[in-house]
Amino acid sequence: MLSLISSFIAQAKWALPGKLGTGRCRCPRLLLTLLFIAGCSAPQQDVEIPFEVRFGGTDLSCAGEVDGVALTDLRFYVHDIRLVTADNDERRLRLLGDPLWQNSDVVLLDFESGEGRCTNGTGQINNVVRGRAPPGDYTGLKFRLGVPEHLNHADPLRAEAPLNYSIMHWHWLTGYKFLRAGVASESDGFWIHLGSSRCEPTAGNASGCRAGNRPEVVLSPYVPGKDVVELDLQALVNGIDLEDGTPSNCSSGPAETECDMPFIALGIDFGSGDAVGTPAIFRVGQRE
Amino acid sequence: MTRLRIIVAACALAVIAAAFSGLFTREFEWPLPDGVPLPMVPPDNLMSNEKVALGRHLFYEKRLSLNGATSCATCHVQALAFTDSLARSVGATGELHPRGSMTLVNAAWSGKLTWANHLIDTLEVQALIPMFGEEPIEMGMVGRESAIIEMLREDAYYREAFRTAFAADSDPYSILNTVRALASFVRTIASFDSPYDRFQRGEAQALTDGQVRGMNLFFSERLECFHCHGGFNFTDSSTHADALVQSVGFHNNGLYNIGASGAYPSDNTGLYDLTGERRDMGRFKAPTLRNIAVTAPYMHDGSIETLSGVIEHYERGGRIILDGPHAGDGSRNPYRSEFVRGFQLSAEEKADVIAFLESLTDESVLTNPDYSDPFPD
Repeated sequence: MLSLISSFIAQAKWALPGKLGTGRCRCPRLLLTLLFIAGCSAPQQDVEIPFEVRFGGTDLSCAGEVDGVALTDLRFYVHDIRLVTADNDERRLRLLGDPLWQNSDVVLLDFESGEGRCTNGTGQINNVVRGRAPPGDYTGLKFRLGVPEHLNHADPLRAEAPLNYSIMHWHWLTGYKFLRAGVASESDGFWIHLGSSRCEPTAGNASGCRAGNRPEVVLSPYVPGKDVVELDLQALVNGIDLEDGTPSNCSSGPAETECDMPFIALGIDFGSGDAVGTPAIFRVGQRE
Repeated sequence: MTRLRIIVAACALAVIAAAFSGLFTREFEWPLPDGVPLPMVPPDNLMSNEKVALGRHLFYEKRLSLNGATSCATCHVQALAFTDSLARSVGATGELHPRGSMTLVNAAWSGKLTWANHLIDTLEVQALIPMFGEEPIEMGMVGRESAIIEMLREDAYYREAFRTAFAADSDPYSILNTVRALASFVRTIASFDSPYDRFQRGEAQALTDGQVRGMNLFFSERLECFHCHGGFNFTDSSTHADALVQSVGFHNNGLYNIGASGAYPSDNTGLYDLTGERRDMGRFKAPTLRNIAVTAPYMHDGSIETLSGVIEHYERGGRIILDGPHAGDGSRNPYRSEFVRGFQLSAEEKADVIAFLESLTDESVLTNPDYSDPFPD
């Protein structure tokens, strides 16, 4: 049966006129039906979504500082990535496999290069999401921060990339750190570990975590191939004094008042863990 | 003729080899007295002598820490029933842990692990927390798993021991197998041979008269100790292989009541830290009382120094702190367990209860060479 399907696919591909992914498909309806039956969708185009880090309006990386503020860590997962058409239809981005950074469900973005005040990185960074989507005129982008629920509580020691890094594991809450970010001034700093919290083991609920803490990012207009996603860490530390000499942190715990402001910036209701608005830390930027 | 000789010799060799391999791969047997239920063992990590031996080395392995000087045994010292005598333990970077080191004795029968986490129910998962946890840093190996695996591959002992213990794996050198071996070793740390146990088995002389009086007080409704510290392991968070019900006990015992709100210090809120439910404020696991006389100081944060102090705490039905940031009357904590409601003891009765608690010390577990450091100094 499998070989039958693959031979159909081979013939169908062979029969498709012209280059794949260049506008409308002129192939016969029968072939399209066969492709559909075989589990394939229409021709796909490659899509790359670059991410860049800012502090306010200025580039920030481990190697440099902005107004005396240095990056100490920035790693986060994204999933459920969709491109939005002008008609407001959503098309799921099918993620490409990668030995380090992404599988079909989730991508790890990693700006912790091990330079400067970033002290516990792997030395490798990843600043782009790679996938395929049906051809179309896209004007928007949506994605969720974090690891999808069905993977968040699976055994991390059996997980494949990008879920196999202990730095992102959160064994205490039997899940993952969705986002770890930190900035520091000379004598002060702030870091955050975001993940699902308020967990109780209950029958039929894999995690029992009532606070999902998976913000949904909605960016519009966003044009793939032209725009980048900017992550502004100044927005994340909005309301946090980085000069008072008292380092602070938030690890998503219920008693942590230092989580209040960052959770607002992340578009999460701190009490329920629900996504309540697009996170202010993400915005659209121009590819340089 | 020659061929026959060769065949006979080969057969003899085969028999000898089989006998030897039988010796070296003998099945794991639990060294438990009659009547003690077998502990739960995950089906994907069955016990074997090879895993236990490997796990013992890993337990004492300082290269599993960021500073190369900290092993599991740093905070879990055999002579102290696998605790460390500190109120709050210190990690490889010098960071002070919010809580004290828990005894590992009979951890195999503990339904939930650590002081207050109802999500962690296997020693395999628990072992990951000291190794890779960040809040707080304990052994500090987060992000350094490849360095661990490289060390295991290069070390002559581990290279062979992992291959033997996980013979079915094409590549046995993994964090998964590391925690499997560690968990297998920790499961063997069992204590059921205290004077109290011998008394239960019919040795009337094993306990003094005072200890017997103390035992009767301990198990009385007047003191209520046994509701949370009952059963074969002196904790209501016990389970075993044939357990029908998963018993889980977390209790607020009235140590704090900051601002009369029921609050505990923010770095030690107990189960509340995980659930965010007010009713879980200050709820911690009732630890086993086996070997309790050697595991001072007491409570999750080591805030009571002696057994005498612990009994006074329960006598009052909660602790009162008159000033400072933690001021408040714990006996009025709204989330306090209904079994912590105070009692009165004479000086003699108090001494008897302490004498009974001392009868739970099992010298064998504190000295058993099977649990000791396998590395030469």
